[in-house]
Amino acid sequence: MSTQTLDAFQVIADPSRRQMLQMLSKQSRTINSLAENFDMSRPAVSKHVKVLYNAGFISIKDIGRERHCTLKQDGFNELQDFINYFDKFWATKLKKLETILNNKAK
Amino acid sequence: MQKEIKHTFYFTQTPEEVWQYLTKPELMEQWLMPSDFQPVVGHHFRFTNPNNTFVVCEVLEVKPFTHLAYVWKNDWAVTKTPYTSNVSWTLTAIEGGTELLLVHSGFELFKDLVAHNSGWMFLCNKLGDLLKVPKK
Repeated sequence: MSTQTLDAFQVIADPSRRQMLQMLSKQSRTINSLAENFDMSRPAVSKHVKVLYNAGFISIKDIGRERHCTLKQDGFNELQDFINYFDKFWATKLKKLETILNNKAK
Repeated sequence: MQKEIKHTFYFTQTPEEVWQYLTKPELMEQWLMPSDFQPVVGHHFRFTNPNNTFVVCEVLEVKPFTHLAYVWKNDWAVTKTPYTSNVSWTLTAIEGGTELLLVHSGFELFKDLVAHNSGWMFLCNKLGDLLKVPKK
């Protein structure tokens, strides 16, 4: 099978791959167990897995006869930082809005 | 992993009044940031951060006094970690005022985008060099 290398955009653009990442965000899975959740051939699933792997979204480890896929955390940790930052950002901003509107009400 | 941010605030003002603070740049600036926002679906606008970087936005939904949503991303032209997300505001009239719900969600991070782009730039420049007719 030819090796496909796509950029992060193209990787995330595909709904099946997004779903795979979502499933892997909950727990590591074998390619077979991933495949059970998709209405596509096992080679098609393998191809998507390869795309995810090539783009650095997941790592693959062979255990016995099974291939285990695990999410690579780096990109996701960074995303969590963004989310934490904006959580505080909005809390602060909305407090400010509250103060302005409260003063206006007086 | 937490996927979205939610905040609910209550105000004694009517939804109509609170709406002004979400949609009029001169009022938004008082509590949020300066911007060239317009309540028009498809309108591209930017918030200016205190450090003069931009939040790049596009209006997705406008239902006067009840719902407002826009794309919220950083400036992909300069950042090393481009992300995109959606900001959505829902106003509900309640007894004695307004309930305001903010949902900031749909975060996607494109960590390798800039590296990828600069990689292509490098290759194109190199190709440009190769295609140049050698000067005598």
